[in-house]
Amino acid sequence: MSPIDPRLQEALDGERDPGELPTDLREAHARLIAAAQLVSGTPQLSVAARVMAEIRQNPARVEAGSPLLRSIRWLGRPVTVRLRPAWTLALAAGLAAILLLPFGPGGPVPGVTKFVGHFPGARSVEVVGSFNDWSRGALALNDDDHDGIWHADAVLPAGQHEYMFVVDGERWVPDPLAGRYVDDGFGEGQQNSLLIVRPAAAQP
Amino acid sequence: MRVRLAFALGLAAAPLTAQNGNPRLAGRVPPAALPAIDSIIAAAVAESLPTEPLVQKALEGGAKNVPADRLVNGVRRGLLQLRAARVIVARAVPGQAPPEGHVAAVSAALARGLPAPIVERLLTVAPNEAPGPALHAAADLIAHRFDPDSAADLLVDAHNKGLRAGRLLDVAVAADHELQRGGGRSPSEALAHVRAMLPNVPFPKRP
Amino acid sequence: MEHRDEAPREGVTEMVNNGAPDVEVVARVLGGDGEAFGILIRRYEPGLLRFATRMLGNPDAAADAVAESLVRAYRHLAQCRDPERLRSWLYRITGNRCRSHLARRHTNDISLSDAPPLADGSDTWGDLERSEQVALVERALAALPAEKREAFVLKHVEGMSYEEMAAVTGARIPTLKMRVHRAREALLAALEEVVR
Repeated sequence: MSPIDPRLQEALDGERDPGELPTDLREAHARLIAAAQLVSGTPQLSVAARVMAEIRQNPARVEAGSPLLRSIRWLGRPVTVRLRPAWTLALAAGLAAILLLPFGPGGPVPGVTKFVGHFPGARSVEVVGSFNDWSRGALALNDDDHDGIWHADAVLPAGQHEYMFVVDGERWVPDPLAGRYVDDGFGEGQQNSLLIVRPAAAQP
Repeated sequence: MRVRLAFALGLAAAPLTAQNGNPRLAGRVPPAALPAIDSIIAAAVAESLPTEPLVQKALEGGAKNVPADRLVNGVRRGLLQLRAARVIVARAVPGQAPPEGHVAAVSAALARGLPAPIVERLLTVAPNEAPGPALHAAADLIAHRFDPDSAADLLVDAHNKGLRAGRLLDVAVAADHELQRGGGRSPSEALAHVRAMLPNVPFPKRP
Repeated sequence: MEHRDEAPREGVTEMVNNGAPDVEVVARVLGGDGEAFGILIRRYEPGLLRFATRMLGNPDAAADAVAESLVRAYRHLAQCRDPERLRSWLYRITGNRCRSHLARRHTNDISLSDAPPLADGSDTWGDLERSEQVALVERALAALPAEKREAFVLKHVEGMSYEEMAAVTGARIPTLKMRVHRAREALLAALEEVVR
């Protein structure tokens, strides 16, 4: 197997205009693309029925969160609550809190949140906050079109969350679009952004 | 209701994940800070205060590489805030053990600078509802420079007209909108406009 | 910078013309609406089945692998922390599953005896029936080691960027480029054998 001319590789990787290639390479380019097309047919079969049957038979999911909450299973009640640390503050603590929480059929309903930040020239942007135990590397924003606007969607439980952006791995920045801030309590006047997530079901 | 009560009682019987040497903190906070943080969390457990806000604060400090002494102070500040919150809740909702969800929510509101009397007033209006949204709405209004008592008045009105939870946040948004309108509206005018709309304040806009 | 009103940001939903976005469907499933997972199945199974069929060389094995992968994705949906990357996550699970299936066959290659017969060497490409052309390409892919086959399929059949491929395979982009380049060489060589 002989190596292909690098120009052809570049064209196939979208790094070079195939129109620039000499004729023989352009033919090879077309042949490869056509070959890929030939095996790109979508199969007619479907596994939907089979997968849904399995899910209906056994609807339990693996939960993220503390061992305490996973131990709820042994009480015999099928719990499909999706919980994050923010909610363990109510559950781990008390009876009255549980009775007061708005439990729907599946428990506290998570909401959809969009994070957006304008960081031109940044190499990486991530969100670090109470919803991911202030862990690094858990929620990265993307700037796929390289216009300096970074964004990510995340599913967060309804309730209050504190967070910051971390730019290029080291610069901690409150979210300018958050609209709410709270002193982080570590004595240097740094502010966390504050987010309040509504349940998705509650939105009009 | 009975099922839920049984569930809750069962939960109380289940062993609480031991807070001693909290496994979530291992490797996340400087070892020098761990004993002090553990003892602060142990105090919260002993006083029936929620511990999650304190664990979160410790994790946050670790992630931000806060030096051990300031980290411990931050967590301790959190405990003091929880204690203060519990006092307020007990005053506002007397005659029962303060619900821990309430304590955490009030603590968060105090951290945002909401004055204690405002917190108490809002709690008293709806002692059995999750207080977070009303308190955050009040804090939002105050952050937008509305007078705290007038803000509380508006939210009480809204609650009386049937608005709950996230809709109270919408009241704060509406008030801010009215304030931003051209023509140099004063805060009290803005609040009056929103009061006139109740209960039909706009829902949040979609992008 | 997207325009926003003065309101502090709340949880928002976006409706798009072709149905609710992944993040919203994931939120519903995690909120207890297991049936909503069906939306994700219908949305992603065509691509996943196509991918698995190329990897395993056999539509029935592919169906098994994809079904197992989707059930696993449902069970672990709470761990998909970035629903914007749901597609990559699903392909990642499916890719792993295919690799397990291949490992159980004690070979990473698709058995050539399962592969369709080669066209007569004296034909030119243009002479071949389309079905024979497909068979020839399939055979050429089947002859590739699994990693290179996977890289080629993700790039040229599933149309992924190298960034997404990195998320799916866990390999670094330079590694993936090398695998794709080698796969192209092998494929071109196989195609050229036919053309006289």
